[in-house]
Amino acid sequence: MSLGHARWRRRTALLSAGALTGVERESAQAHVAGCPRCAAELAALSDTRRLLDAEPPAEMPLPFAELEARVLARLAAGVPAPVAAPARRWAPLLAPLAAAAAVALAVWGVRPSHQPVASPAPASTPALMAEAEPARPAEQEMLQRMERLLAREQAARYLNEAQDVLVTVTSGPPPCPKGMRRVEVEEQARQRSRALLARRASLALGHEEVASAQPVMAEVEEMLREVADLPSCVRAGRLQAMQREIGRRRLLMKIDLMTRELQG
Amino acid sequence: MADGDQRALSELMRRHSQRLYRVAVGYLRNADEAMEAVQEAFVKAHRGAERWDRSAQVGPWLTRIIINESIDRYRRARRRRAAEEPLDEADPHGRWAAEGPSPERRVLGRELREHIDSAVGSLPDRQRAIFVLRHYEGMELQEIAGALNMRLGTVKSGLHRAVYRLRELLAPVAR
Repeated sequence: MSLGHARWRRRTALLSAGALTGVERESAQAHVAGCPRCAAELAALSDTRRLLDAEPPAEMPLPFAELEARVLARLAAGVPAPVAAPARRWAPLLAPLAAAAAVALAVWGVRPSHQPVASPAPASTPALMAEAEPARPAEQEMLQRMERLLAREQAARYLNEAQDVLVTVTSGPPPCPKGMRRVEVEEQARQRSRALLARRASLALGHEEVASAQPVMAEVEEMLREVADLPSCVRAGRLQAMQREIGRRRLLMKIDLMTRELQG
Repeated sequence: MADGDQRALSELMRRHSQRLYRVAVGYLRNADEAMEAVQEAFVKAHRGAERWDRSAQVGPWLTRIIINESIDRYRRARRRRAAEEPLDEADPHGRWAAEGPSPERRVLGRELREHIDSAVGSLPDRQRAIFVLRHYEGMELQEIAGALNMRLGTVKSGLHRAVYRLRELLAPVAR
């Protein structure tokens, strides 16, 4: 397969999934119209798409009232409330639709210009501290609390992602076309291992809030190095040895426990 | 919980529960597990409400919570299975390959569902998340990248791999 065709193959897949728009979509359609090979692939992919579309839409098996009752009961049963949560913290979530939009989320509202911690990518601690310098004592205390929270969240997220890489690599790899008893290691998993290893240096591991995570971090780092060094097609036995080692160390359980501890 | 909180939470659940359920059941392929994931997602959303970025829309925020909850649940279940069933060194591909439907459950419709469950279930975590958000939720690639905190190129590559893998696995029943 030529490099050019490999590129079109990828675009054909995205086209069949309805994921291309605008110019990308038009150019892919134009290519397929003049390429019998891609047209055949698109037809085959469309058969699969039709099959998937034939699956009836899923409806919740429980009435809404029961879900609502379960969630409220679960919250009432002792899910720990966040520190100093504002009384009407839900109101902003309906802001586009309700006048309650004006209600602020006071905990994070120390400064209106601060963006609260976005779930996937929190603001960096140094940036927060740089802004904190002129703060008054009460604000200083609040910012220190945020810094501790961020250190814990970053460490927890790191461990969670590392666990994902380890589980993905050692569970269910497809056979490798190169030969018997060999399995494929996703390039993405190896890249993520390298990225995590590079990111570890930026974690505030010296912070007392996350000091207890250091031994687990060291073990995780060791396994990530092994993943990063794996070739794309590896003997199944090598992955099985890794899986055994992870099991022997009870590493996934340690990560679970430490993540929960860090998340409070 | 304050009355205002409860009303707001109920309204949010009313607006988004069905949508979140579709994402969860698309990923987990199990109605009970998906229902629990939705329940837990709203509990987590409530706990994390004060960390919600006010400049962001609620829908994608909840989508991110439900897909992460689904991934976590699936991983936990997979680890439980792995702990109960050690690898067979003589047949490394046997357990790792997607399992087909059992012969006694070969009933039209159910069989198709089982094939799809099995095929989607065999996708790696990230690919599956990308596919589910695209296929069941109709999200644009850029939105998926935002929800999963991935680069756009990674999303494209993941969807491309997922589509071809599903084609391979479903080819026998797609014809």
